[in-house]
Parts: sequence; C-alpha cells; structure tokens
Amino acid sequence: MSKKRILVVDDEINVAKSIKQSILSDDLDVDLALSGEEALKMDAPNNYDLIITDLMMPGISGLDLLKQLKQRRTGVNVIMITGYPTIRTAVEAIKLGAFDYLPKPFTPAQLRSLVFRALQKARQEISEAGKKPTPPPGLFYLLGHTWLKVESEKKGIVGIMSDFFKTIGNPVRIELPKIGQVILQGDPCATLVDDLNFTHRIWSPASGRITQLNSSLPENLSLLQEDPYGQGWLFTLELSALEEDLQGLLQSK
Amino acid sequence: MFHKKFYRTFMNLPLRVKFLVSFSLVIFLGGILILTIGTRIEHQTIFSLAQAKVRHDLSAARMVYNEKLNDIKDIVLLNSNRESLQNAMKNNNREILLAYLDKMRKQFNLDLLSLTDQQGKVICRPSHPEQWGDLKNEDPYIQQSLQGKIVVGSIVAPREELFQENPALVDQAFIRVVPTPKAAPPTEEAEERGLLLKASAPIIDENGEILGVLYGGILLNKNYEIVDRVKEIVYKGEKYKGTDIGTATIFLYDLRISTNVLNENGKRALGTRVSQEVRQAVLIRGQAWIDRAFVVRDWYITAYEPIKDIEGNIIGMLYVGMLEKPYIDLRNKVMLTFSSMAIASAFILLIILFLITSSIIHPVKSLVEATKKIAAGDLNHQVLIPYHDEIGELAHSFNQMTENLKKANQKLLQWGKTLEKRVAERTRELKEAQDSLIQSAKLASLGKMAAGVAHEINNPLTSILLNTHLLLEKLPPDAPQKETLELIAEETTRCASIVKGLLQFARQSPPQKSETDINSLLLSTLQLLENQAAFQNIEIKKSLSPHLPTIKVDQNKLKQVFWNMLINAAEAMPRGGTLTIETRLSPDQKHLEIIFSDTGVGIPQENLTKLFDPFFTTKSSGTGLGLAVSYGIIKQHQGTIKVSSQVGQGTTFFVILPLDTKENKPT
Repeated sequence: MSKKRILVVDDEINVAKSIKQSILSDDLDVDLALSGEEALKMDAPNNYDLIITDLMMPGISGLDLLKQLKQRRTGVNVIMITGYPTIRTAVEAIKLGAFDYLPKPFTPAQLRSLVFRALQKARQEISEAGKKPTPPPGLFYLLGHTWLKVESEKKGIVGIMSDFFKTIGNPVRIELPKIGQVILQGDPCATLVDDLNFTHRIWSPASGRITQLNSSLPENLSLLQEDPYGQGWLFTLELSALEEDLQGLLQSK
Repeated sequence: MFHKKFYRTFMNLPLRVKFLVSFSLVIFLGGILILTIGTRIEHQTIFSLAQAKVRHDLSAARMVYNEKLNDIKDIVLLNSNRESLQNAMKNNNREILLAYLDKMRKQFNLDLLSLTDQQGKVICRPSHPEQWGDLKNEDPYIQQSLQGKIVVGSIVAPREELFQENPALVDQAFIRVVPTPKAAPPTEEAEERGLLLKASAPIIDENGEILGVLYGGILLNKNYEIVDRVKEIVYKGEKYKGTDIGTATIFLYDLRISTNVLNENGKRALGTRVSQEVRQAVLIRGQAWIDRAFVVRDWYITAYEPIKDIEGNIIGMLYVGMLEKPYIDLRNKVMLTFSSMAIASAFILLIILFLITSSIIHPVKSLVEATKKIAAGDLNHQVLIPYHDEIGELAHSFNQMTENLKKANQKLLQWGKTLEKRVAERTRELKEAQDSLIQSAKLASLGKMAAGVAHEINNPLTSILLNTHLLLEKLPPDAPQKETLELIAEETTRCASIVKGLLQFARQSPPQKSETDINSLLLSTLQLLENQAAFQNIEIKKSLSPHLPTIKVDQNKLKQVFWNMLINAAEAMPRGGTLTIETRLSPDQKHLEIIFSDTGVGIPQENLTKLFDPFFTTKSSGTGLGLAVSYGIIKQHQGTIKVSSQVGQGTTFFVILPLDTKENKPT
C-alpha cells in the first residue's frame, strides 16, 4: 500500500510545522505550503490525498483554495482549520464540499482522529460506493456530520449522519451535552469514542439550548448506525438562530 | 467743571434741604428785589416830595427877601412925599433935614439914608453926617430917580462907597474867606464889598418939580434878619435832634455873607463858599439848582437861585436848605419796617414750607425706610400712608409690589426646594444612564478588540497545544516532566476557552424576540439547574407575580441571563443558603422586574461598579464574562440590571425589562 500524501497549508510556519509533527507517521508523507497559491501549485502534480488548510490566509483564502481544488478534482479531501470567529465560514465550507473542519487550538489526537476519518472516507468511497442509508427528505444536515429535524420554529432534533460512521471505527462510547447548555452551530455538541480509540467531536448543526437528551443512547449505541435518522437521535434543541443556521446546512431531497 | 460739581453736591443733599435751599433762595432773591424796587420807589417819592418842598421854600425865601426890599422902597417913598421934607429942602435948612432923616433912619433901621439935590449932589447923609456935597449923578439909582422913577433892587457896593455912606458898614461888610474844599479857588483873602438892598425915589413938589432924590438901603453882609425870618416863617424854627431843619443863606457871588447854617463851632458859617458845581449852574448859567448837597456839616436838600441887580447882572444867590436827615431817617424807618416785614414773612414762609415739606418728605422717608427693609429681606413690611395723593398711591403700589414680591419669593423658595429634589432625582437617573452607557461602550469596543485578539492568539495557542502534546506523547509514562507538560496543555486549553468566551460575547447576534411568559421561562431555566450539585444545599423561594403580562424577548438569551444569575447565586452560597426569586411589575407599571436574592458572601462596595465589566471575576475559575454577557443581553432588550449587596448578608440582582419596547430601536 502506497504512502498517503498530505499537504498542510498555513501562512504561519510554526503552526504548519506543528501540524506536520503531529500527524507524521511511517505511512504518511506530509508536505507544507505557506500560502494558497503555493498549495495550488503543489497539488497539481501530486494530487494529495488530504489537504489540511487554514481558513484565514492572506491572498488566496482557505475557502478560495477549497473552491479551486474542487473545480480541479471533485473528490479532493479538505480539512479546514479555523479560528473561532470563522466557525460559520467553516460550516459553509462543508456545504461546499470540505470534509471537515477543526477549530483552533486543537490537540494532536483531535487532529489525528480527523485525519484518520478523512483517509478512511477516501478508502470507503473507493470500496463501498452507493451503499448507504439515505436521509429522509426535508432533513437539514451538516455534510458528513449531523442532521437537524426542525419540529417547530423553536424546537429541533439533532442526530448524526450515517456517512459519519463510515469514517470512523465502531463507536464504543458517547458523551452527550448537559441539559440547559447553550451551544452554537459548529460547536462540538458530543464526542464519540470508537474502538480504534479515536475521539471524534460531533459538530452541532444548529444553535440553541439543550432541552432533552436521548437517554437510551448510552446503553444502546448501535441505534446510531441502525436508525441514524430515527431512534439514533442525540438531543433536542430549543432553537435560537434557526434562520441563520439554515444557511450553513444542506437539505435532503 | 465747578458748576457741575456744585450741582452734583446739591443733588446729593437730602430732599428737605434741597426744598429749603431752593425756596430760601427764591424768598431771598425775591426779598432783595422787592426791597431794591421798594427803596428806589420810596427814595424817589420822598425826595421828589422833599425837592418840591424845597422849591416851594425857595419861593417863600424870595418873598421874604422881596418884602424886605419893598419895605425899604416904602420908607423911601413915604418920606420923599413928606411936606415937611420938601419945605425944608426949599428953605435949604440942613439942620432940620438932618435931624428928620436921622430920626427916620433910626426908626426904620436903615443902614444908609441920603438926600441929593436936583443935580444929584448929596445934601444930607445922616448915616455919615460929615460926608456931604459929593455928586451921585453916576449912580444908576439916582440917575433914574432924577428922572422921576422909583428904583428898587440889590446892588454890590465897594468898600469906598460903603465907607462914604456909613463908615460902620466897612466893618460889617468885611468877611474873611474860609477855604472850602469843593469851591472855586479863592481870588481874595477877604470880602470887603457889600450886598445892599437899595431903593431910591424922587422928591416931587406940588408943582411937579423934582427937588432931589432920597435913597436908602441896608447892608446884607452879616445881617441875619432875612435868613432868620425865612427860617422862622418857612420852617417855624423846627429842629431835628438839635439841628435846625431849615436853613437859608444869602451869597455875595459865591460867598456866604448871611446865613443861619452853622459851622463846626456852632457859629454862622460866614465866609465859606459854594461848590464849584453850584457856582457854575447858578452864577454863570443863571439857573436854579435843586439837589441834595453836603452843606458844612450835614446833608441837605438844597435850592439856589440867582440874585440880580437892577441891570440884570447876577451878583449873588439866595439859598434854602432842608436837613436831609429826617428824610433819611424816615426812609430808613420805612425801609426797616419794610425789611423786617419781609424777613418776618420770609420766616413765616419758611416755617410753612418746612411744615409742607415735612408732610411730603415724611411719607417719602417712610417709603425709603420700607424699601431698605424690603431690600434687607423683610417682606412683611407695609407702608402706612393714609392720604390719597400721588405719594399715597405710590405707597399703595409699593405695598402691592411687596405683596407680589413676597408671593414670588415664596414660590421661588418652594420651587427651589422641589428643584433640589428634582435635581437629585435627575442626577441619579443621569448617573445610571451614564453608567449603563459606559457599560455599553465598554462592551462594544471590547467586542471589536476581542474578535481581533482571539484570532491572533489562536495561532500561537495552536502551536503550543500541539507541541506540548507531542512532547507528552514522546515521554515515557513515568517521566517527571509529564506533569509540567500536562499543566501547560491544560492552561493552554483554558486560554482557548477564555478566547472563545470572549468571542461569544463579542458576537452578539440580534435578539430574536417572541411573546414570552417570563414566569415560565424562569421556571424552565430553574428546572435545568435544580438538580445540579451546586444547588443541593440551597433553599429556593419563589414569589412570582401571577399577573404579569407577556413581553417580547429573546427567550434563549434571556434564559442565558437567568442561568447566569442562578449560577452566580449558587456560587455565592457554597455552604448553602436561601435563594429568593421574585417577579413583579415596577411601581410605575412600565417595567417588569425579576429579582434574584441570595444570602451569600456579598460583594464589597468597591467591586459593585466593576461587576459588569468583562473578565471581572472573584472566582478562581470562570471567565468573568457571565455578568457582562447578561448585561449585554438585557441592554439589547432596552432593560437594565441593578445590583445591591451587603458583605456577609447577600446580594440582590434586579433584572429590569421594559414592558413596551420599541421593536425598531437599534440596539
């Protein structure tokens, strides 16, 4: 099996180096690019398996880079690294086809689990194309992540997209938020630990206050994959910025 | 310059003095004017009267003079017709003639009496019997009488003639000239000529033949018969304070030869001469002279007229003088009466004036007093003037003004009192508004800054976090550095969460409001917390008003505020206590108040103002953003949060929301 090739794009050399150090392994080649322009040049001959890019860069921004890469090859895997203020932009990036995003600052473990998922996805796409449970129509979702069922103007139900499980190992533990907690779209709302000992953070598709948890989940994690759009729900949200949130979400047909 | 200064000085005098000075001036000037005019009129009247009298007296004196002259004529005429005289002449009997004429002369007291013959040769001269035979045909009297005329008149006779006629007359005629200041320079030291009253008549027999001439006369020098008789007839010998009122004088030319004017020694003032002025008028121009004149010792009102001889030559003067003193005294007496009357009336006028000005000034003074009192603050003072004149009206207006002033003053005082209260109230409101404005401004600027800082800080944090973890991974599990690195990782994560909180706070999205029942929102928030560990030892009391209207709020944001309030309260009471939650309408029914009271540690006074500042915290954990965010949210709802606290007793937060919010108002 050939080595996977990863390109890290960040205008700050320290950050780029740290990222490289964090993911460096025997079966990974990691290259660095310090700008969007450089990244585009380097990607052309190499067709990297994964591109990890900062969102906010001078010149070609992370979002522009994503668009241009997607134009060149639609299957490109891109992870957006973002500061907190640009979470919404990151969510938008997912809508545009980014694999995932990672808010700064992050730990090597968080990064690695994401990288793992991304590379896993690439593998899956090759092997199991077309075999997946489709979401019911009208569902809003954060591509590859979570869905939101809007029950009323104020109430929404949140769950995990079935795609997400293709990128991870078997879930062994889930941590749900606390009731009353206020979360915003793109914030981590739950963490999932898989049998490969990766910890995956789940991004909330909407903003609001947690009102109810799916209490049956912790005992029966299989519900997540067996009925991802039904009994596998995570929690209910009292929606606070629905209109705004919907801009970052796709809707199933 | 001076008159201006004088005017100012005058105008500064008290009113009464001004009145008195002005009126006195008028009275004084008027008095002087009246006195002057009166004196002038009186003077003229008295003197014209006196002059008329003296003129009249002069005529009387002339009559006496002429009477004497007539006497002489009568004697001469009577004797010339005597038969015995004519017979004696015809018989040329000198003895008889002499005896007869001598008897006549003595009987009629003539100074001279002589008889001539047809040729004018003196044949008999009893006044000088030895002297006869001299020819008198040169004498104008004799010449005319030889032609049958009777001649009467005054004449000047030289010493030789006097001696010829009567040697005694030489001495009588001799008068030493006394130097007189105003008179013309004397030509002789003494006067030897005589002024004669002389008459001559022809002696005519039965056949009409002129036998001769009889002539006689008297010498007026030192003969006082005429002048004393004038004094006696005209002035009845009246005296005024020892001095004769009337005097008369006969002058030979300008020399006094017969007078009853007395000199310094009380003797008749013979030998003195008339003033040059009178001499000029009377002797040279032949006019009468009437005026006052100083004669010898006293002022006289005098009258002079010329004495002429039979040929019309002026040879002397007749004078009468009236002592001026009685007139002067009369005048002075009149003037004195007049003046004292004027002074008395001026005095009476002044008294009346004083009384009148008093009646005017007294009310004015009491007005001035009142003004002073009112100026000093005594607004209860009233002026009492019972009259209805202008000053009475003024006083009335003044009282009314004072009354109004008093009312206005009272109003002002009252207003001042309420003003203080209002100012204090408004100051408090302003202070609050300012505080919240400062708070808002702080939040806004902080938000902008936070966004920038957060982004910049995230990159280094990322590097630190990644590398710390990489180090940790490389170390063996029992490495002593591990703890240190874990601490670094932990603290870096905390940095990240602080930055995140900051950004959350900065990214305040506009509130999404909906009609909300605050009580149920509060209860649902409370439900989420009640079972948490922090609330285990806390008794929660609820006092929720059932009559609250629903209001439009962003429920999520408001829940966040309530969450913060409740968490804060719980954290203030780590060993338990009571949390009281109250909702109510404000007294003015315009606000809804949600009150959270704890019995916790309390907040020191100095921290109360910083309470809503971002990052202000007294807790070791916590970002210090909870209250700042809550404050920001309530501000977005046009409400406010207030706090009161007592250290050791507890803290109360008041969340105040307006019932009527303006939806479109920018936040």
